[in-house]
Amino acid sequence: MTRERHPVLDGHWPETERDFMAYVEIENVSKAYGPYKIIEGLDLNVADEEFVVLVGPSGCGKTTTLRMIAGLESVTGGTIRIGDRDVTQLRPGLRNCAMVFQNYALYPHMTVSENIGYGMKVRGEARATIEKAVKDVAKILDLEQYIDRRPKQLSGGQRQRVAIGRAIVRSPDVFLFDEPLSNLDAKLRIEMRTEIKALHRRLAKTIVYVTHDQVEAMTMADRVVVMNRGRIEQAADPITIYEKPRNLFVAGFIGAPSMNFIHGEIVARDGALFFIEPSGTVLAVPKSREAAYTASIGKLVVLGVRPDHVVHQGAPAGSFVRMIVRDVEPLGPHTLVIGTVGAFPFTRRCRSELPPSPIGPFDVGLDLQRAHLFDKASGQAIVA
Amino acid sequence: MMRNDPIKHVFIWPAVLVVLAISIFPLIYSLTTSFLSYRLIPPIPPRVVWFGNYVSLLQEPRFWNAIYTTTLIAFIAVGLQYTIGFAVALALNARVPGERLFRVALLLPMLLAPVAVALVARMIFNPTMGPLNQLLGRFGLVNLPFLTNGHWALGCIIAVEVWQWTPFVVLMMLAGLQTLPEDVYEAAELENASAWQQFWGITFPMLLPISAAVVFIRLIESYKIMDTVFVMTGGGPGVDTETLTLFAYQEGFKKFNLGYTSALSFLFLIAITIIGVTYLALLRPHLEKRR
Repeated sequence: MTRERHPVLDGHWPETERDFMAYVEIENVSKAYGPYKIIEGLDLNVADEEFVVLVGPSGCGKTTTLRMIAGLESVTGGTIRIGDRDVTQLRPGLRNCAMVFQNYALYPHMTVSENIGYGMKVRGEARATIEKAVKDVAKILDLEQYIDRRPKQLSGGQRQRVAIGRAIVRSPDVFLFDEPLSNLDAKLRIEMRTEIKALHRRLAKTIVYVTHDQVEAMTMADRVVVMNRGRIEQAADPITIYEKPRNLFVAGFIGAPSMNFIHGEIVARDGALFFIEPSGTVLAVPKSREAAYTASIGKLVVLGVRPDHVVHQGAPAGSFVRMIVRDVEPLGPHTLVIGTVGAFPFTRRCRSELPPSPIGPFDVGLDLQRAHLFDKASGQAIVA
Repeated sequence: MMRNDPIKHVFIWPAVLVVLAISIFPLIYSLTTSFLSYRLIPPIPPRVVWFGNYVSLLQEPRFWNAIYTTTLIAFIAVGLQYTIGFAVALALNARVPGERLFRVALLLPMLLAPVAVALVARMIFNPTMGPLNQLLGRFGLVNLPFLTNGHWALGCIIAVEVWQWTPFVVLMMLAGLQTLPEDVYEAAELENASAWQQFWGITFPMLLPISAAVVFIRLIESYKIMDTVFVMTGGGPGVDTETLTLFAYQEGFKKFNLGYTSALSFLFLIAITIIGVTYLALLRPHLEKRR
């Protein structure tokens, strides 16, 4: 990627450098507000042109991380690099990041074209250049007919597109999105999701995207970073996150409805391993997994079963749990059956053409080959 | 309750009558008086002169002088109040240490009675015995004719007006500043807009509606300036600092020339209306953009 001279950033990197890789390196970054430590020793690398989504419950530090990359929030310790520039102490305007805010942050007194062109105007670029760039961006984002309107006269989706337009017009090194879709209705959110993905393919730029919505994270990301309490719980591609959660938090956070957890113990009996739940359910550990689980004999563990990992017919003996069905929720393509197994809530998903389960006790066969096991004390996955 | 319920008259008419009695009636009464030659001293029976009072007023140089003086005071004082007030509000909005103390201290002048302020100012500016000239004397400077020279006296009145009413601008602009969204500034920050660019590109245009209101209120109020001038200079030296209200006071309560004074106050009303309408007409295109 060749980089032309930038009126603002010139002088902030060596003149000889022309091939600029816009990777982001966060190294041992911490953030504290007075005595409250929000983030401690965070390490994260975002590759050039990668689409990384930070996801986690509110208060997990994902937005703070994003704002530290942007420079809107100072770091308490550690370094942040964009490309090979150390930007830790650089003010936001010199980092060449563009950000799309949750509430759009459009300038209310400016028209759409003024909003998009403001950054270029501030940098003192020629009027003709600005007009052309604004026109191009408006075309990409399908905003041409609204170019003279003010933000107030636009719908939520259009405002969001203007905010994105303002970000792409300056061709930044890194795009930062701070929950950009959370103010849109469900249908629009799905549309914008596709648009942003398409935009990423088209622009081929590094994107760091923050959301609390795991569906957004899973559908858009090259790599999902699950955060909790200022730490990264797991960073991997969406399928790995879903199929191989590293710990209980990730397993419970990703997937809707979320994974069922049954607490119990691994015991060895007659040369075979069994999972025993306190109320009396006994499940036979598949042969292929016995080796991995041997170390957990006698320890408290948590069995994780996704709602779809149940067997409707022909489940082998030793893979059944007694579920007390409390409610049935038909959703159209599938039906959710909600209830408990022992003392633990349990949800399973069935195809809607199957006859609905009766309210009351019901034996459910589990697909134990796809179940997960976690050490209860550490919360870490016991990988088979 | 239905729209046609006759009970509505019971609620509406008392209000209408009160408004008529305390607002419309005096206005009509004074309008009628303005068409009369009506003097209390010596007591001559009123005589209808139609626009006679208006004509002689418009031919009176003292009237035009009062208009000029009032306009000068109003525009310079309000201009300074707005500029200084906005700057102070910006400073207070930036969370300086001790900001709350500043806030209270800066609002105090506005709470004082203008007469009291003018009295204090008259003492401070007293050319021979005032502390200001004494202080200047210490530095070897000559006594300045603060209240005895027309230009200096105007300057002193403007200074007092600015001192007393800038806090009002601070209060209003600060309230406006606090309603501005923060993320807009963060967006500008990411665009590398300087503080100056952020002010002219974002803060000033976003506060234009409130600025328009503040300037409008202060302008109208300044045109009605009376007590400060009355106490500080009494319109003097000569008529150099005589404002419209002071002129009206002199005519009405020194000469008891009531018809003339009524005509004067109506001309005053017309002048203020013209200024107000022009002001709003000039600003309208800018304000409407912000709807």
